[in-house]
Amino acid sequence: MRKPGCLVLFIIAIVLIISGLLIGPLAKSFIGEGVPEFIQVQQPHIELKPETIIHAGILPVTNTLLAALLTTVTLLLIFGLAARKMSIVPRGLQNLVEMIVEGLLSFAEGVAGKENGRRFFPLFATIFLFVIANAWLSLVPLFGAIGVEEHGTVLALFRGANTDINVPAALAIMSFIFVEYWGIRSVGFFPYMSKFVRISYFLPKNFKGIKSLGMNLVMGIIDLFVGAIELLSELIRLVSFTFRLFGNMTAGEILLLVSMFLIPWVFSDLFYGLELLVGLIQALIFGGLTLVFATMAVTPHGEEH
Amino acid sequence: MEAITRLFTELGINPPLLIAQLVNFSLLLVLMYLFGYKKILAMLDERSRRVKESMDRAEEVKIQAAKAETAFKEKVGEARAESQAIIKQAAQLGETLKEEARQEARKEAQSLLDRSRGEIQKERDESINALRREFADIAILAAEKVIEERLDKESNKKLLDKVLEESGWLKKE
Repeated sequence: MRKPGCLVLFIIAIVLIISGLLIGPLAKSFIGEGVPEFIQVQQPHIELKPETIIHAGILPVTNTLLAALLTTVTLLLIFGLAARKMSIVPRGLQNLVEMIVEGLLSFAEGVAGKENGRRFFPLFATIFLFVIANAWLSLVPLFGAIGVEEHGTVLALFRGANTDINVPAALAIMSFIFVEYWGIRSVGFFPYMSKFVRISYFLPKNFKGIKSLGMNLVMGIIDLFVGAIELLSELIRLVSFTFRLFGNMTAGEILLLVSMFLIPWVFSDLFYGLELLVGLIQALIFGGLTLVFATMAVTPHGEEH
Repeated sequence: MEAITRLFTELGINPPLLIAQLVNFSLLLVLMYLFGYKKILAMLDERSRRVKESMDRAEEVKIQAAKAETAFKEKVGEARAESQAIIKQAAQLGETLKEEARQEARKEAQSLLDRSRGEIQKERDESINALRREFADIAILAAEKVIEERLDKESNKKLLDKVLEESGWLKKE
């Protein structure tokens, strides 16, 4: 606060917050309709479902699909351009991209071990980058402000792709498919399936005489039950993956909208900072959990006992 | 079942859209792998390999330098010992030469002395002879004067020699 520039900025921020308080809906309830029309903020219209821009056959092209495509193109552009002209001594964009890849690789190797980390890296990195790029792109100013008019209503052309439940669901399905594939590839089909269908106690080779028959029967039933729970948990992961990301991102979006509506202007900046962090954390959680599940799947489960 | 379907539509789950997102993500995964990760990881590996290599090389160079230094020191030590030996040898040689020169000089001096001694001897003999002759002449002259008679110079001399021989005066040698 020594420098006059700092002080000026601080005063401007305070003035903006106070004026935001005055013209927001909070003030409206106190001073009634005294606020001029043109600076009033419209009440946000919150819609869980993404809005369809146009229909292409049976595929509704939604604003979230457009945002997902934008994210894809952005990521591919950054990485493609950086990787096109690589040199031993990195320059410019290559530095950034290498830093990202190196950080993600060391994270993956830390979680899954040296060899498996390399194997899981492409999926993990793509999930992480896709989620974080979706989250951060939707925070770019004007991202949600470009609109198209349709049937008299204005629809946003882009909307954070993570807030469309189809995107987290697609990511969860990809993660699920890869985890099961890696599990089967590493452990073998029948050993992997025996994690879910536990009938080892009923096999003839484990029959240890008539005396322990009762005990075996009880253990076998418990084991069957454990297997069923394992199977269920595998499916529940899909749901938890989907709703964790969807819920967090949608909540963030709504939080921003509401904060902008309640106290317009600078107040919502705080939540922008928060949303940056949430985007990073959610990307890390989605990728990290995929890594953990993949590591668990490729470990022969005989070792767990 | 109907409740689940309603939940799905309410949340916006839409099979074509879901498939589109799956395709989009798969495409992203494949393209990122082909044009991004593969090259970048290869580059990272290459760089770490090079760093390792150059570090190994540096280590090697260091070892080699140490070896070279040891060898150099050894060589220097050898050279010093050698030079010491040469100096010693030279000193010895010098000593010998000096000794020889001294010997030579002494010999030379001896011979010079001998020669001069011989010369002196000869000179002395000659002068004695000359003296004797002179003396004989004088004696003859004196005798001539005394006897006042001119004798044959030759026979006188013989006579005188004989006298001198007999008297033993001024014996030769």
